[in-house]
Amino acid sequence: MKDITQNMVKSLLSDRKLTQLVIVAVIVFAAFSILVPELFLTSRNFVSMAFQIPEIALLALGVMLAMLTAGIDLSVVSMSNLAALSTAYLLVTQVTEGDGNVYVWIVITLLIGIFVGLVAGLANGLIIAGIGVTPILATLATLTLYNGIAVGVRNGQSIIGLPEEFVAIGNSSLWGIPMPMVILLVAGVGVAIFINKTGLGMQSILVGANQDAARYSGISVKKVLIMTYTLSGGLSALAGLIIASRSASANPDYGSSYVLLAIVIVVLGGVNPYGGFGTVTGVILATGVLQMVASGFNALRFSQFFYQLAQGFVLVAVMVLNVYVDKRRMAAKTKKAPKES
Amino acid sequence: MSYITPVSKRKGLQLFGSPNELFLIAAIVVLSLVIGLNNSVFFSIATPFDLLRSSLIEILFALGLLIVLVSGGIDISFPIVGIFAGYTTVVIMLRFELDTYSLIIPLVLAAIVGAILGSVNALLIAGFGLPTLIATLGTAGMFRGFLLSYVGSVYIANIPLGLDQFSTADLLSVETSAGTLARLHVLVIPILILAIALAWMMRRTMFGRTIFAIGGSEESARRMGMNVRWTKARIYILVGALSGVAGILYISLQRKADPYDLAGTELEIIAAVVLGGASIMGGYGTVTGTILGVLLINLIKDNLILLGVPGSWQRAAVGLMLLIGVIAQAVADKRRLKQSVTVAKEDSE
Repeated sequence: MKDITQNMVKSLLSDRKLTQLVIVAVIVFAAFSILVPELFLTSRNFVSMAFQIPEIALLALGVMLAMLTAGIDLSVVSMSNLAALSTAYLLVTQVTEGDGNVYVWIVITLLIGIFVGLVAGLANGLIIAGIGVTPILATLATLTLYNGIAVGVRNGQSIIGLPEEFVAIGNSSLWGIPMPMVILLVAGVGVAIFINKTGLGMQSILVGANQDAARYSGISVKKVLIMTYTLSGGLSALAGLIIASRSASANPDYGSSYVLLAIVIVVLGGVNPYGGFGTVTGVILATGVLQMVASGFNALRFSQFFYQLAQGFVLVAVMVLNVYVDKRRMAAKTKKAPKES
Repeated sequence: MSYITPVSKRKGLQLFGSPNELFLIAAIVVLSLVIGLNNSVFFSIATPFDLLRSSLIEILFALGLLIVLVSGGIDISFPIVGIFAGYTTVVIMLRFELDTYSLIIPLVLAAIVGAILGSVNALLIAGFGLPTLIATLGTAGMFRGFLLSYVGSVYIANIPLGLDQFSTADLLSVETSAGTLARLHVLVIPILILAIALAWMMRRTMFGRTIFAIGGSEESARRMGMNVRWTKARIYILVGALSGVAGILYISLQRKADPYDLAGTELEIIAAVVLGGASIMGGYGTVTGTILGVLLINLIKDNLILLGVPGSWQRAAVGLMLLIGVIAQAVADKRRLKQSVTVAKEDSE
């Protein structure tokens, strides 16, 4: 056990950006613990944070995958809502009270939800890689389109009254760990393996670092991009299903502020917005930091709009800070170089 | 071989130049015919008047966004800047009891507030070199959070007199056969003048040409000795001021100041500008195309029901149009690239 923690500490310290993030996390934790200990430092608060982190982290992981390839995916929230609505719609229409096959239906509808997300992501990938539309515009268009379909199909209404058995999944715990967190950890490990261990994943980082170089070295940029955006759709669908299960409902306009939040998390998590670098640990850690800020603000009775202000500020501040750090490191490098020669 | 950009090929203020603009006009005409033949209510003088009224504010925002897109950037904070400036102006005027009939005071105030917010974008984008999407996403969150936390989060119904009166300032009002009044708002004229002025600025001034140059290739513009940073800063301050004016006029036309308004309309306006032919890669875009894009989107939005499509599909329709716009553009870009490659090959042979 000691070895494992030592290893974890070592790996967290080995990466400069992760180290910074751990320091930020500790500061945020300490600040709210001192300011509002009676509300922040409670096991209830941490359990509720553990239930809220996964859905946002999954969306952020989707954005991260796109950003690794020097793109962006603005449609994650729309895809997640579309997937949640599809599953919820099927559950409500197909499952009747006292049906013995409830669990079969839950599995089928969950798979369909994920499939909807994958197809939406695949469409993004085809538009971006196949037709050559810039990721910003392509996903902005599909953001509107997917959201529009979700609104149109159900006339803008949300679906409520999902079967108890389905609701139980998102609100249960496995060995004391909230189920959504278990799903996030499994998905996170999966994404980490994809990025670091599979050929396609490593190629996606190369594409992000330098698309031309990647193409000349024989990487099929198209295939990599399509795969990346499809996966992003799958992760978003997973987030949507967790949201649906936790809230026992599906709403076409849920979490419209999550687009900003997901990008804040990804940038804070040390992912390079110009592509080529990013870690799953960073993104999950950054989600934790933002969630602590959210619940801390909540305890301090700050409004959600103040939280939005803080998100925007964090995004801008981190980006500006990165510019400075990069400049200083460049300057340090050029100073060193003449001495060596 | 000389590189000719599509813009410089055209002379002066030629109105219907590019195939894209012709296509938009054709689309508007055909669509109008289809709607009108399905429902004769459509063929009334009220239809174009209403269309113009619902498009006016969007045209202002769209023209600002056009400048940003031409320079190779994107801005998603402009509706927030607009409502921030407009709402703050109303709050300031009511606080200092400036309940006047003046229109100049609110317009100038809103432009100033907008320019201040725009300069935040300018600082981040031109000063620190942040990617425009991320910078404006961040500032949109900041501005909206600040507006609703500190300026106010309540709906103001009694806006200053001048603004209130202006909402019914009609240039023309015609009695239709149905007995209702079809009214054309006076704002059509200043916006038309502004559009012509902007078109002239983009084509004829050093500032305008520099914007195109930066959008075409930022590095080339820099090496030609253009002041890229200062130009970019001016763009975002100008767009801020323009959005501020659009915001206060929006409040005037609505006859109420609601700080929750306009958020989210950026997608529709981006769709309109992109449909209008402006390239998000920068270096290309026209005022005429932009206006046509806004008119087309509003025509579809306002008449979906007459086309037999339920109103709840409005958003999907906007999304689909945006998608068609970006795909058409990407396909055209690819073809142009291929052509220039083949031309270059022929040249070298």
